[in-house]
Amino acid sequence: MNGLYPVMAVAVTAGTLVVGAYVVAVLDELLAPSGSQPGGRSVLVEPVARAAVLVRQSRVETERPDWQAWALAPGLLLGLAATMLVVVPVAPDVSLAGVPHGVILFGAATALVVIPTFLEGWSPNSLLALLGGYRMFAQALSYVIPLALVLIGTALPAESLDFDLIVADQQGLWNVVRMPLGLPVYLATVTGLAFWGPLSAPAGADIGGGIDVEASSLHLLLWRLGQSGVLVGASAVGATAFLGGWHGPWLPGPVWVAVKTLALLALLVTSRHWLAPLRPEGFVVLAWTVLLPLALLDVFVTGGWLLL
Amino acid sequence: MLVRAVAGLAARAAVPVYPLVGEGMQVRVQRLHLDPRVRVVDSPRHATVLLVAGRLPPDTREAAARVHDALPRPRATLGWVATPDDLPGAGLSGDAVVVPAEGDVGAALVRVHHELMSGARPGEGPLLPDEDPVPWRGEGPYGHGGTGMTGGAPFGRPLAERDDDLRDGLTLDVVPLTVGPFVPFLPPGLTLRVVFNGDVVHALEVTGSLPTGDRDHLTADGPPTIEAVERARADHHLRWIGWALRVHGLPRLATWTLRLADDPTIRPADLDRLERRLRRSGLFTWHTRRLGRLSAEQVTGSGLGPVARASGVAEDARCDDPAYLALGFVPITHDGGDAAVRWLQRLAEARQALTLAERAGQRRVSGSPEPPHGTPAGQRRLLELLPELTVGTEWGDAVAVLASLDLDPGLAAVRGQVGS
Repeated sequence: MNGLYPVMAVAVTAGTLVVGAYVVAVLDELLAPSGSQPGGRSVLVEPVARAAVLVRQSRVETERPDWQAWALAPGLLLGLAATMLVVVPVAPDVSLAGVPHGVILFGAATALVVIPTFLEGWSPNSLLALLGGYRMFAQALSYVIPLALVLIGTALPAESLDFDLIVADQQGLWNVVRMPLGLPVYLATVTGLAFWGPLSAPAGADIGGGIDVEASSLHLLLWRLGQSGVLVGASAVGATAFLGGWHGPWLPGPVWVAVKTLALLALLVTSRHWLAPLRPEGFVVLAWTVLLPLALLDVFVTGGWLLL
Repeated sequence: MLVRAVAGLAARAAVPVYPLVGEGMQVRVQRLHLDPRVRVVDSPRHATVLLVAGRLPPDTREAAARVHDALPRPRATLGWVATPDDLPGAGLSGDAVVVPAEGDVGAALVRVHHELMSGARPGEGPLLPDEDPVPWRGEGPYGHGGTGMTGGAPFGRPLAERDDDLRDGLTLDVVPLTVGPFVPFLPPGLTLRVVFNGDVVHALEVTGSLPTGDRDHLTADGPPTIEAVERARADHHLRWIGWALRVHGLPRLATWTLRLADDPTIRPADLDRLERRLRRSGLFTWHTRRLGRLSAEQVTGSGLGPVARASGVAEDARCDDPAYLALGFVPITHDGGDAAVRWLQRLAEARQALTLAERAGQRRVSGSPEPPHGTPAGQRRLLELLPELTVGTEWGDAVAVLASLDLDPGLAAVRGQVGS
């Protein structure tokens, strides 16, 4: 059993990433403004069919790309998305990684997302893609501190960096109520982490898709999988840190984790259809003048409340 | 077995298509966004079929061929043209399938895509020789020539060089790039030579403007009715919003708007709903406010239409038309003249146009009607103003400003040649 555990853990993580990406694609279609769907096509089949098109295509070359870095980027992003997933406890003392300092591991993964994203923009030797990479850097420098701070806010009352204890500590009262600033700031920053919706400037339409502009075929499929994986991983961690994780009546813990993750995922996905992507400069200003002070306030208020 | 299953699934997908918009096909290509069988993509790398819509001007052949070769294999070209003689680029690709302009292009796209994915159609080879634009001569570790600490300048390639910064004193590399004429985030036909300094526009020059727009959709006998003119105006503004929303990264709201534009029963109140949605998206606060401001002096007397009225200049041919005055027409103006105000101006004018159309009855326009996006001279003036409006701003802001001007480069170019 123990010998098989790593194999099983990898299979479960990979399966969750693929299913998660599929769920993101389906939600994206279901939550679009009514009247904007193309209609007449099966919402359930279309994402798979799109993936099949990418599998059927062959890769396009650009002039003198950095092949190694370009090939590495989707793998690295998928790896980071997997890292986010494995720290999530689905029941008391049950998570794939079983590490005692899940917050640190998750924080490290979020801080590193900028690396594959920049590589994806830089490697194809194409200026529009490179601009996407630049934008991701500006964005990452801005979201990473507020993101870390609100997570620390959840670790304070549990007196632990272990997600398992953070969940256990939310017995009776979830962190979303105890620290009302936490979840909104968290959601805003992970939108930037996944370069998604309102913070999708690195993949902006004004640069033809930015970091995505040169990606094609299987590479594009893996890259999109990685992006959806980050969304799913960050939603699962959000559900753990703010929505009480496996706590909940009647249903078993893992189901509660899935339901809460889906709820956050739906929120993040919907934002794409209703909020215009922020200008890169606009987000930098917003992050440093609004998100960061709010995140600090969140930590101070939580700390003060614990001292009382 | 697995390969066949994947091919079968791929054939069922909505066709990812990258359109090259030629003369007179802009509205038709926009309607494709509403076709459930088709998915219009932002990059040729994400498409299986290249759609050449209408005749492409001869001097864009090479650019079109470049886009063709950017599609991943297996790829195919579909010509969407009035007569086979117009075949894309007189045969952009010899294997291209051709559909007449009035034909069902959606069905043709599905057929071509299906054949490609199932392997029944071999897919097209490159149109241009697959070689570097300038030969690499094998000197230095990457064949880039030169010696020295940075390896010297690559042969024939502009090396990123430093230049004075325009904004905050942070000196970055400047890199030149030609953008257009077939990118979805610029008006069709517009080609720009942009020098980037990081994400900032260091210099910008209009190097090409080609006739691609739709013209003369009001060719009736005698002067047109006010109802027809104003409906066409509302339609034009809504289509502009539909296009600009895609540029701003809101493709679903864009599709929703285009569906609204196609609705024959559209009422002024429907535009209130559109405006609410746009306001809630943050478009007028975070994305366009204070960008590309035009003063009243800059826009007076140039025939800029809505752009001038957004800067508070009440120039409008309809003010001199007794038929309009009898309807109680008063031109709408706004103060501020930035990109956000130009959006609001067009929304307000579209609503006013629908109201006028409802009240006009059988009245006809006397004289030539006010065009929805200004006169050809106005369009030329806007092209002149572009460098002034965009240099020193971030590229995303520059694109937002460009979008807010509702440029029709073809209009400027065609009449410009006639005039000169």
